[in-house]
Amino acid sequence: MISETVSETLKEKLKFGLFLGCNIPFNRPDVEQAMRKIFPALNVEIDDLVGQSCCPSWGTMPSVDVVGWCAVAARNLCLGEEKGIDLMAACNSCYGSLNEARHKMLNNPEIMNKVNEILAKIGKKYEGKAKCRHVAWVLYRDVGLEKIKESIKYSLDGLTIAVQPGCHFLWPSEVYPDKEEDPFNPKVLRELCKALGADAPYYTKLIDCCGMGALRSTNPEKSFTLVKEKLECIKEEIDADLIVTTCSSCLIQLDDAQERLRKEGKISFSIPVLHYVQLLALCMGFDPQQVAGICVTPRDEIIKRILESGKR
Amino acid sequence: MEVMEGVPPVINLTEVARTEKEEFEKKVSELIIEFGAENLLACMQCGACASICPLARVGFEWYNKKLIKAILIGMKEELLDDSTPWACVACNRCTEICPRQVSPFEVMFAMRRLMVEELAISTLAIEGDRSLYEHGHAVYMTGREARKKVGLPEKPPTTDSDEKALQELRTILKNTKLAELGLIPME
Repeated sequence: MISETVSETLKEKLKFGLFLGCNIPFNRPDVEQAMRKIFPALNVEIDDLVGQSCCPSWGTMPSVDVVGWCAVAARNLCLGEEKGIDLMAACNSCYGSLNEARHKMLNNPEIMNKVNEILAKIGKKYEGKAKCRHVAWVLYRDVGLEKIKESIKYSLDGLTIAVQPGCHFLWPSEVYPDKEEDPFNPKVLRELCKALGADAPYYTKLIDCCGMGALRSTNPEKSFTLVKEKLECIKEEIDADLIVTTCSSCLIQLDDAQERLRKEGKISFSIPVLHYVQLLALCMGFDPQQVAGICVTPRDEIIKRILESGKR
Repeated sequence: MEVMEGVPPVINLTEVARTEKEEFEKKVSELIIEFGAENLLACMQCGACASICPLARVGFEWYNKKLIKAILIGMKEELLDDSTPWACVACNRCTEICPRQVSPFEVMFAMRRLMVEELAISTLAIEGDRSLYEHGHAVYMTGREARKKVGLPEKPPTTDSDEKALQELRTILKNTKLAELGLIPME
C-alpha cells in the first residue's frame, strides 16, 4: 500500500512491489532469492512488478538529462502506483535514483508535466504517489525487530559484524521516505544485526564510501584505495567476523575487491560479506546455497559456524 | 564596428576578448544551472562538500568545491577534458552537508550532462545507455548459470522477459535527449 506514515501501513497486510534493479538479478541472484524467501515468511506479500527495468542507474539517463532520468524512473514507479503499492529495493542505487527522481518531480511541476507528456505515449501517468522503500527500512519499521527476533532459527550470539549501510541508504536524507535520526551516525543496520544476536559496534570508517560504481569503472586504483582503507579499519578496530551491508553494490565491491587485494598481497585477511537479507535468510533457516550461494570471498566457514553453534 | 572608406578596420582585441569572455562565463554557469544545478550561485566556497567527498579524498583533480569555483569563474575547456565528474559515485554526502543547498552532486551531474551535450565523452560513458535501450538494464548478462544455481527462473520478471515492457521503455527513451543527441543507435 502507499502511505506516508508507517502506522497506516501496519493496519493492513503488508504488500510491496519487489524492485530488482540490475546487479541483483544478474550478478547476485542469491540476494533476490533471499528476499523471495524471507518476506512471505514474515507475512509481507511481494508483487513482481512485471516489466520493470533499470531504475535508471547513475551512469545512464541521470548523466544525460533530468527529464529523461525522471521518465524512466516514473515508468517503474507507475508499475507500483497502478496496483496501489510502494516499491521495495535492496539496491541502494535503485533506492537513490528512484527517490531522487520522485523528489524532483514532486518539487518541480515543469519536470512532472514533461515526464507525463512522455509517459502518455505509452498510456501511463505518474501521480507521484508510489515511492521506493528500502528493504532494510521495511524490516526495521514495518516488520519490526521483535518479529525478526521471533522468526529466526539460528542466532548470531558471539559474532561481531561490521555494518556497511552504504551511501544511498542515507543521503540526501531529504528525498527518502525513511530517515536516520542522524544521517552521519546511522543506527538502523546496527539494530537489525543486533536483533539477530550479533554485536554490531561502531568503527571509524563506518560511513565511508566503499569505492564502487563510477569511481571503480573510472579509476580502479583509487577505488581500491578506499576499499582497502575501509577493510583495514574493520579488521584493526573491531576484528569483525563478517561484513553486512544493505546495498548490492557495496556487497559486490567489498566481496570482490577484497579477493583482488589479497591476490595482490595488499591485505592478508579474509572477512565474508553478506547483504542483510541474506544474513536474515540464513538465520531463518533457508538453504545457504540458494540465499547466499554466490561470492568471491569464501563464506563457508561463517555459514557453518552460524548453523552449528547458533541453533536456538 | 565603424568602417571608414579606404581605411582598414582596426580590431580592438582587448575589447573583443573582454566581451567574448563575458559571454563565455555567462554561458558555462548558465548551462550548468539549466542542466539541473539550480542553486549553483548560492555557493560560498566554504568547502564543507570537499571535506566529505570520496573523490577529493583519493585525489581527483576537479572535486566538488573546485569544480564549482572553476564554473563560477567561467572555465570550460579544461573541465570538458577531465574525467572527474564520471568518477562521482553520486553518494550525496555533499548535498547532505551543504549549508547553502547548492547540491554539489547536481553540479557534478550537470557537468556530465554538459559534456554529453558537447559530445566530450568516451564511448564507455554511453555504454550503459546502449545497454539500457537494448535490454532495459544498465548491467546485463547473458549467462544465467547463477540464477539457475540459486533456484530462480533463468530470466527475471523485468524487461528481460517482457517484450512489451521493453518497447515501452524504448518509446520513452526515444522521446528524451538521448535520442535528440543521437548518442546511441535506436531502430
